[in-house]
Amino acid sequence: MPGLDLRPVLPAALLAVAGLVVLLAQAFTPRGARAPSAALSLFGLAGAAALTWLVGCDPGPAPSLGGAIVLDPFARFFHYLVLGVGALTVLLAGGYLGRAGIERGEFYTLALFSMVGMLGLVSARDLISLFVALEIMSVAAYALVGLLRERAASLEAALKYFVTGAFSSAFFLYGVALLYGVAGSTSLERVAAALGGAERAPLALLGAALLLVGFGFKVASVPFHAWTPDVYEGAPTPVTAFMSAGVKAAAFAALVRVFGDALAALQPRWQPLVAALAVATMVLGNLGALAQSNVKRLLAWSSVAHAGYLLAGLVAAPRLAAEAIAFYLVGYAAVSLGTFGALAALSRADREPLSLDDLAGLSQRRPMLAAALTVFLISLTGVPISAGFVGKFQLFSAAVSAGQVGVAIVGVMMSVVSAYYYLRVVVAMYMREATGGDPWSRLGAGPALAIGVSAAIVLGLGVWPGPLLAAARAAAASFPTLF
Amino acid sequence: MNFIHEHLLSLLVLLPAAAAVVVALLPRSAERLHKTLGLGFSLVLFALSWLLVDGFRPTSAMQFVERHELLPAYGISFTLGIDGISLWLVILTTFLTPLALLGSWHGIHERVREFVVFMLLLEAGMLGVFCALDLFVFYVFWEAMLIPMYFLIGIWGHERRIYAALKFFLYTMAGSVLMLVAFLVLYQAAGLETFDLRRLQSQPVAPELQMWLFAAFALAFAIKVPMFPFHTWLPDAHVEAPTAGSVILAGVLLKMGGYGFLRLAIPLFPDAAAAFAPWIGGLAVIGIVYGALVSLVQPDLKKLVAYSSVSHLGFVMLGVAGFTTLSVTGAVYQMLNHGISTGALFFMVGMLYERRHTRLIAEFGGLKSVMPWFSALFLMVCLSSIAVPGFNGFVGEFLILLGSWSFSPSLVALASLGVILAAAYILWMVQRVLYGEVTHAANRGLPDLDLREWTVLLPLVALSLFMGVASPYFTRKIEPSVSDLVRRVQAAQRAGAVRAVELAPHAATLAAEGGR
Repeated sequence: MPGLDLRPVLPAALLAVAGLVVLLAQAFTPRGARAPSAALSLFGLAGAAALTWLVGCDPGPAPSLGGAIVLDPFARFFHYLVLGVGALTVLLAGGYLGRAGIERGEFYTLALFSMVGMLGLVSARDLISLFVALEIMSVAAYALVGLLRERAASLEAALKYFVTGAFSSAFFLYGVALLYGVAGSTSLERVAAALGGAERAPLALLGAALLLVGFGFKVASVPFHAWTPDVYEGAPTPVTAFMSAGVKAAAFAALVRVFGDALAALQPRWQPLVAALAVATMVLGNLGALAQSNVKRLLAWSSVAHAGYLLAGLVAAPRLAAEAIAFYLVGYAAVSLGTFGALAALSRADREPLSLDDLAGLSQRRPMLAAALTVFLISLTGVPISAGFVGKFQLFSAAVSAGQVGVAIVGVMMSVVSAYYYLRVVVAMYMREATGGDPWSRLGAGPALAIGVSAAIVLGLGVWPGPLLAAARAAAASFPTLF
Repeated sequence: MNFIHEHLLSLLVLLPAAAAVVVALLPRSAERLHKTLGLGFSLVLFALSWLLVDGFRPTSAMQFVERHELLPAYGISFTLGIDGISLWLVILTTFLTPLALLGSWHGIHERVREFVVFMLLLEAGMLGVFCALDLFVFYVFWEAMLIPMYFLIGIWGHERRIYAALKFFLYTMAGSVLMLVAFLVLYQAAGLETFDLRRLQSQPVAPELQMWLFAAFALAFAIKVPMFPFHTWLPDAHVEAPTAGSVILAGVLLKMGGYGFLRLAIPLFPDAAAAFAPWIGGLAVIGIVYGALVSLVQPDLKKLVAYSSVSHLGFVMLGVAGFTTLSVTGAVYQMLNHGISTGALFFMVGMLYERRHTRLIAEFGGLKSVMPWFSALFLMVCLSSIAVPGFNGFVGEFLILLGSWSFSPSLVALASLGVILAAAYILWMVQRVLYGEVTHAANRGLPDLDLREWTVLLPLVALSLFMGVASPYFTRKIEPSVSDLVRRVQAAQRAGAVRAVELAPHAATLAAEGGR
């Protein structure tokens, strides 16, 4: 019975088990000793990656759970991305959690559970599974944001994220219901088939719009972005890194799958909407970032802006869009982990380097770290030689190929605006003198490794993007060629 | 040897980047080693680049062409090649970089390692721009170059360095991003599935589209030149940059604008180039006169030299707009001249600044008696800058004015006014700095040139004399490529005009039918 082939869900299942093991290990660790949570999590992640690879080797892994979960090339691409993000997050978090007094199993368990949701999200081919996965990911993320129980900002952020998230879930479900009404099924395949003859388009279009609202909250696109600065600022910094890299990637993967596959027939109808959202997100995200002096908030707004660039790629034909977005998300994940990770690694028990003054003269105290941060900021700006440049080139090239030259022009002009605020950070690090001693924490081995790997990825993709582009292209081949 | 010959251009482009990595990995305290290595590497590059001159055949063909597939699925390949237009610009780059490193031997004493690293990265970027024959690769080098220059100005610059660095970066980036979109549109419109410049040139796109694309390219290049009214970043960047930065900025970076017009914008969009030529020529002449007038009233030596660049590059752009073999050859030659004479001027202003920590003209006077050798060389560089016959500047400006006559006699007449004004502002400055009584006590004991400074200046002065009397040595290699370019573009323009004429009656019929 093909419906009972569970192989495609094995990686996610293993992560869930790993999460439980971490929790149990914590419970059985004597008071005063440290549970090997990080090591266990890394084992789990490595195991899940190995399983993904093994299942992928099978020439035709059957869709699992009645076609609701697949492990096609697109899903595998994002499996590796999510698992990589998880591993780097675990490496980054160690020192920070210890200093913040939350070095317990919860962080790792919640992160692993959240990743279970992400893996489901990127491989779901059914709207209900997709919704369940979205919720698994989000609920764990709400708890992660509020992990710093003693800090009001963290709790406020968690509440805000939870309330807006719950709202967006409701929108999402409404959209699912409408599409079900049109297609008589929640399977993406059936929805696509039903929309082939587009006479019932208005209802389907409304459904698509509501799904877009739901996704818009998760990926922080305008006008559903208002929670982003507060949540990114209030959350523990490793969690911010995890959200900016992982949640955004998984949500975008699902967005691309729904719109590029199930709703592809309606593309001429939703394309202007997505283009308008992209333009608004790029403009407001960058203008918002322009006014920030708090680095974490600045990066939060920049995360909104980058959702805009990614949406700009979505207007293209499904395969082109999927390819460009997949590539961009890898580079962006590395950059997010690197920047937020660096802030987390420098943090002390009582404060973090959040203002530009805090970073003044960093290049003289920590030349390597400052150089890595510069690489990340250059990539965020989209200047060669970095992953960000190749990524933006792909996204805007996709937009131009869809005839949306205006979107591409707004995108590049906003990149210039973004150069202003990213360079302010570089100015602080390189062109201002440090005052007083070096108040920040030494970098542990884990964070140093994670930041180094991220920087290597960003530069490597800038110099030699070929292999990953080929992988992204192979992943995008999971989508139909309609146009 | 064969391997070197076959991969000469990629060696030239990649070696400085590799050298930068090597220097970056050295311990921070070994400052002498950083400088020595930087200088050594750049001299090796200079020697290597002479192999280009040696092996260059005076034909119009692209030479030393290399092609490595980079992203075949996207039509992107690492294609490099040079012709007569880029040959000497490559040499100019490899020539000025070691001089700039030597010139800042004492001037830079903080974070020496980073300085050398950025200089080498900058050299890699500049050489990449001049050698790239693939639009994607061109853009990568074009943009990547901004970063080292940004740091050079921002870290080692003068008082308002942060402002100047940011302005430089934002201005240039704002210009070039639209060019990137134009690349993408061109890629789609041409339908050749390639970013290969030579293949794209062989198939001009529709005339209306050409206008838009040319405008986007022209904006990027006009900012880089810089042409009036896009020049406002230049005085800030030049004045605030450290000496080496100013030299490279004026000597090489400003050439990329004119080069971009000749290599990309004009051959890709011949019809649009013809339509825009009067505008470019007009702005060029405004730049010539405006730059000269502003230079006339500058109290600051470095600012004066900076504004004189606006004026000099106006000549280059006039030659480009004139678009005859003569005027374009003159423009290319003038780019080299400007690199040498303005480079030398920035060096000498830097030397004065190192001695007196001021750049105000009023702070000097009577230097001739205090620093006779310095004054002699300074005078020669100034004469070269105002295009006195016998010096290189004369050849360039004369060719431009002569060649542009058929384009627009009135513009040439106005531009000639700039020649006179140049003599006025430079000679007046020379008079106030070198001649007269020593009015400031601080100037009395100034040391004359030392050995290092001689080593920096002598090649520049000698070259400006050599280029003044032996110009055929250089133009013989430039001219075939230029005349081929002019011929190709004019043929395309004629074909475009023929198409327009053929279409016109058709359009009239359509209109008549529509009216009925």
